Amino acid sequence: MAAPEPTRTAPVVDGAAPPTGAGPGRLIVALYAVLALAATGRSVLQIMEYFDRAPVAYLLSAVAALIYIVATFALATSRRALATGAISIELAGVLVVGLASYVVPDAFPDKTVWSHFGSGYGYVPLILPIVGLWWLRRGTHPR
Amino acid sequence: MLIPVSIGVIALSVAWLLLSAVFALRGKLINDALLALTVLTEIGLIVLAVLSAKNFRGIDPSSEGATFLAYALSLPVVPIFATLLAIREKTRWAMGVMVVAAFTVAVMTSRIAQIWNLYGRA
Repeated sequence: MAAPEPTRTAPVVDGAAPPTGAGPGRLIVALYAVLALAATGRSVLQIMEYFDRAPVAYLLSAVAALIYIVATFALATSRRALATGAISIELAGVLVVGLASYVVPDAFPDKTVWSHFGSGYGYVPLILPIVGLWWLRRGTHPR
Repeated sequence: MLIPVSIGVIALSVAWLLLSAVFALRGKLINDALLALTVLTEIGLIVLAVLSAKNFRGIDPSSEGATFLAYALSLPVVPIFATLLAIREKTRWAMGVMVVAAFTVAVMTSRIAQIWNLYGRA
């Protein structure tokens, strides 16, 4: 991690780094919101309706949904440290779960957001964290 | 009823997507025609959510009933949030958000119709 920031959770004000949720950032926030929405409702109902079928996969889906919610909120409100953290975990998650779903397919009988590198969601879950991290990095440099 | 309503929603969302894309390319912001399309799509999604909630138990329990109901109930949120964002954002990215939202509605509605076709009992 970089040096600690004095106003770690406060939204960025004028003169500091540009907001992460404006201009092209709106698009990234919208994509995160869509994933958060699709993953949350789906995992909540999967756990309620047939949790026994694939407990690991459904719990991972719920964790993924939570991370998408945090990332959406952090990007929309320019909380850079929080956004970087959430998106990094997300990238690690999609890589690990994506690989695991090919190595131990029995653990993932149902498709989840992250299994098979997000193929069920058009690989958006794989591409989005890379775009998100790039966007966060880019915003800290003068344009 | 579920399939015809789904088809109607998909058609509306594709029109919404195309108009938003044209607006994005021309640098135009939201106008009455685009707003009307999102409202019509929204009405269709509310009908679809009600129909899905009513027919949810008719889905084969060993299949993807959870996805079916979750998508149907969460979709009506999409046009509302997209429109609010599009009104607040005064650059062409506003229309980018609309394109994403319209695409989401088209894809998730197709998935609802697909699950109903495969595992639903009328």
